[in-house]
Amino acid sequence: MSTQTATPPPRFGPAIPRKRSKKRIGGWRWAGRGILAFLLLFTALPMAWMIITSLKSQLAALQYPPQWWPEEVTFQNYIQLLSPNNEVGQEFLQYFWNSFYVSILSTILGVAVAVPAAYAFSRFRFPGRQFLFFSVLLRNMFPAVVFLMPLFLLMKWLGLVNTHGSLILTYLTFGLPLSIWLLKGFYDNIPVQLEQAARIDGATRFQAFFYIVMPLSSPGIIATGIYAFIMAWNEYVYALTFMNSKDKLTLPVGLQRFFAEYATNWPGLMAASFIMSVPVVVLFLVLQKYFVRALTEGAVKS
Amino acid sequence: MTIDVAHQGGAMPAPRLRRKPNVFQRIVRHWNDYTYIAPALLVMLLVIAFPIYYTIELSFFKTPANLSMDKKIFVGLDNYWAILTSRSFWDVTYNTLIWTVFSTFFAFVLGLGAALALNREFLGRGILRALLLIPYVISAVAASYVWKWLYHSDFGVIGALSVQFGFTDRPINFLDNIYTALPAIIVVNIWKEFSFAMIMLLAGLQTVPDQLLRAAQVDGANAWQRFWHITMPHLKGVSMVTILLLVVTNLNSFIIPWIMTGGGPAGATDIWITQIYQMAFGRIRFGMASAYSVILFIVMMLLGYFYVKALTRGDEAKVG
Repeated sequence: MSTQTATPPPRFGPAIPRKRSKKRIGGWRWAGRGILAFLLLFTALPMAWMIITSLKSQLAALQYPPQWWPEEVTFQNYIQLLSPNNEVGQEFLQYFWNSFYVSILSTILGVAVAVPAAYAFSRFRFPGRQFLFFSVLLRNMFPAVVFLMPLFLLMKWLGLVNTHGSLILTYLTFGLPLSIWLLKGFYDNIPVQLEQAARIDGATRFQAFFYIVMPLSSPGIIATGIYAFIMAWNEYVYALTFMNSKDKLTLPVGLQRFFAEYATNWPGLMAASFIMSVPVVVLFLVLQKYFVRALTEGAVKS
Repeated sequence: MTIDVAHQGGAMPAPRLRRKPNVFQRIVRHWNDYTYIAPALLVMLLVIAFPIYYTIELSFFKTPANLSMDKKIFVGLDNYWAILTSRSFWDVTYNTLIWTVFSTFFAFVLGLGAALALNREFLGRGILRALLLIPYVISAVAASYVWKWLYHSDFGVIGALSVQFGFTDRPINFLDNIYTALPAIIVVNIWKEFSFAMIMLLAGLQTVPDQLLRAAQVDGANAWQRFWHITMPHLKGVSMVTILLLVVTNLNSFIIPWIMTGGGPAGATDIWITQIYQMAFGRIRFGMASAYSVILFIVMMLLGYFYVKALTRGDEAKVG
């Protein structure tokens, strides 16, 4: 009893310091705003300069005190890259298309491979399950450059060098560990009773999986699909090594070759970088929720 | 069956209860289960297991420049010996350390600051978060070119600004100076990946219980104390994973140093990865480059061990 009566004073005691701490919160809040303002400038200014430069003529870009805003705004760089009537545009659109279809195909194949695997890791108890699961997760620990040599030789033996098949085969493993991890989390949370009910109604194990479980995990599938697409779209190292004929290049490599040939055309390069960023940024902005989920899932237990 | 269901959520089933069937019997019994993971396994074997094996094998050989691998010569540990005793290896290792440590540290600190500042409702919060994430999403190739243009020795905007504000008389040639090249590309790397740390930590902050923070406030803990004694302990797991992933990404990053400086000037920005690439595809010495890769593997495996440990920690806590 005596201890209980002793407690109230300290509880009521901090009434005055609390006011002070409220003031302090204000200080912290301002610090937070300061950080955000700094990061916003740090993030946005380079991108803004990319866009501003892309709207200049080559002559206007190469001036010493730079034109902070182009004296003459021109869309010539974009028109040149996107019109199929000139050589530059043809090449650029070809790279764009290559990038696009390699990324799409590897994303679809990656998901198709990951879904059943994740399901198995979640539902079945087969020997070696733990080991296999973690060896899949470790894939991202290995740098692309280290795998280049053996994969290059492998593709040579398989006759896949200089075909998009080599890229698709390699890229589909990018999203794989993450997809399996993320989807396994989904399946863990889908009650088994749902499937059991379907099976009692006469569905086979596969039907129960395909018609009942898979639709429920579509947010996870979208999330991993976006992640895989963005990874494939941005990939550079394998594309640089596996492809050697000009019409087969993907955008990241194409960009480099394309602009190294002539004297560096900076406004053109900025315009190309901008166009190249558009699909992934749009995809990211539209499906942001899923993308963030793909990134953070697994690391954060909720 | 009921036992199985009971264990669905947990990571570790207790196999001790049914130890009777041996491994082979169990594999045969679960034969059907393997067909689900077969496609994934096949791809992984081809694209991951084989390269690891083959890299290790090649690291013991001297390989011919025309890449006909049936003519390779066994040299034992010579490749390793040659690498570890060369002076350039230690210079490159030093660069790699600087690159990895500084990139990771600043990306994490900036990410943490941003996450804490974004962890309350205010107008435009979603837009701001999305905007900060854009550098992480766009291609590293595009980012490298944009920054190369910003750093340009004659027409770069950074040089022009530093003259405008009177920091220097003349634009600095950031990427061609052995003292500024590495810091300059580290800045680009931080620009590219700090928002990854931000988004991870922001997700981690959602797990900090509100009541606990309020209770601490009532008890008179100030903002710093609440952050240090309540928020930080809850972020420990996420921070571990984030830092590990950042370290791995930085050790593996190739595009930014390769496009921006190509390892130059005078090797000032040469890190392990660019060195391996140069050795393999510049000088066509696959054996040597493989030995280099194996050294990197070993470092990665050590990190991977901690990664898996950090990831599974939560699982064990859930079961127990």
